[in-house]
Amino acid sequence: MSEITEKEIERYENLLREMWTASAKYLGILSVNLLVERVVWEVSLEYQEIELLQYDQDGISCARIAARLKENPELPVGDMFMKFITRYVAILARLIGRERTEEIKKRLNEEFASIPFDSREE
Amino acid sequence: MDKLITGIKNLDYILGGGIPAYSLNIVSGSPGSGKTILVQNIIFNNARAGRKSLYLTTISESQFKMVRHLQGFEFFSDDLLGEKVIYGDLGAVLREQGADKALGYLTEMIKKHLPNIVVIDSFKAIRDIFPDEKTFKAFVFDLAAALSIWEITVFLVGEYEEKELTLLSEFAIADGIFHLYGQEEKRFQKRFIRILKMRGTSFQQGEHLFQISPVGIEVFPRMRPEGEELQYGFKPGRKGFGIPSLDEMLYGGLTEGTITLVSGATGTGKTILALKFLLEGAEKGENGIFLSFEEPEAQLQNTARRLGWEIDKYLAQGRLSIEFISPIELDVDKHAFEILDLIREKKVERFVIDSISSFENSVSDPQKYRDYLWALGQQLKRRHISSIFTALNDDPFSPLIVSREQISLLADNIIILRYVEDGSSIKKVLGILKTRGSDHDKALREYEITPNGINILDKLNKADMLR
Repeated sequence: MSEITEKEIERYENLLREMWTASAKYLGILSVNLLVERVVWEVSLEYQEIELLQYDQDGISCARIAARLKENPELPVGDMFMKFITRYVAILARLIGRERTEEIKKRLNEEFASIPFDSREE
Repeated sequence: MDKLITGIKNLDYILGGGIPAYSLNIVSGSPGSGKTILVQNIIFNNARAGRKSLYLTTISESQFKMVRHLQGFEFFSDDLLGEKVIYGDLGAVLREQGADKALGYLTEMIKKHLPNIVVIDSFKAIRDIFPDEKTFKAFVFDLAAALSIWEITVFLVGEYEEKELTLLSEFAIADGIFHLYGQEEKRFQKRFIRILKMRGTSFQQGEHLFQISPVGIEVFPRMRPEGEELQYGFKPGRKGFGIPSLDEMLYGGLTEGTITLVSGATGTGKTILALKFLLEGAEKGENGIFLSFEEPEAQLQNTARRLGWEIDKYLAQGRLSIEFISPIELDVDKHAFEILDLIREKKVERFVIDSISSFENSVSDPQKYRDYLWALGQQLKRRHISSIFTALNDDPFSPLIVSREQISLLADNIIILRYVEDGSSIKKVLGILKTRGSDHDKALREYEITPNGINILDKLNKADMLR
């Protein structure tokens, strides 16, 4: 895995952790895990490697995805995570309301400015 | 907040627009109270709007029996089964694989069908499968969390008794609670629905009548006498009877949008006077409804014809409608609501209830009767409908009792009709007790009902006739 890809995975992991923490405030840890489980399942229909995402009550980890990437550097990691994030934010907007989701997005945008969060995927 | 439209007549109105989406709702009630039909009605209505439902039975009713029973309802459609309405059996999983596999099965079914609505019927029946309350509570919590994350609106149906509603753990977790029950009132076996809880929306509290018919469920919202219903204004116009002397006594007629109580003993002509009020309106191009609890339409037509009134013309034109409800069939909860529907539909300006005494006799609780009449009165006034309520005075010679149950309080105007003795004969006397916001003739006048209508005669000038 190139250094650039390694950094990209690390960046996405940080982003997912931020999302996980921010949404746990509204949904609670149990529900956040269920939401991640749902989004993992939905994204896995297109990108099966997302099933390697690890999550539990302590948080979320991309370590296994990073390991798989070493075996298969061609994985479309960027597309997969973007799909995951977009789907996650869209569902979150419907569950807790667009206004609160905007707050979360705003906070994430400050730290991850290059990722265009959009809760209007549908 | 997104809402799930139930599509059931008046239920969405009571719910302030529908059930909050992704909420977990319990539908409780004793066996036969209509729980399953209510939920089935909701899911088939939603199926027609393109939403998918997963209906999981447990152990209370086999699926084929349920489908067989539903076939008699208009909302049911074979075409939607398997596509938009999917039946599953959660009971078998619970019995054969245990409670801990139930959530897994449910999740698999959700992934397979991606439903918008999930129903578990009966939820109470599966309590016994769990070893203790703690385990069951954990299951309910996990279930609620899992289903909400899948953006699913949930209905848990159960044969819960009212006393259980505050005790069992599932009710603490529920966002909404619908309680269905029946009770006998006078001669009617009636069904009521109460919304005990509904997070995220304002809803109308109290018991609302509902009925199950081939159409499905129809709800008749409780009439509310309080709050915004009291906001109405007065119109300056007047509406007369078309009886010159009487209209003069009223200084031109009854103030528009007011309620007039016409109280009198049997045979004093309350019905005729009220009917004349509507016919005068029809003559002026105003629509009117005569709601009769005492005389059928044909009988009223006959009376009017004998008096030379053109009732047939106005009935044919639609200016006048006569609605007869037998007092034996009268169900205040239902009919009060239907009356308002009718008034809206026909753009009515004049309205008569003949008589409110029949209303009174159909309601077991006097307070409920007063509340209903008060609420109906406020609704009529809000719509600026000039209304006459006739009331039977049990004592033909006493002018003091206007009506039982202090209904006179809701009237803006009161006209009394009574008998007086004049030597060896009986005469009829009319008097105006009050006209709110207006002056009126204080005299008592004799009147007679002749083949030409109602004639108001001279002032009563023999004080001894009123002993």
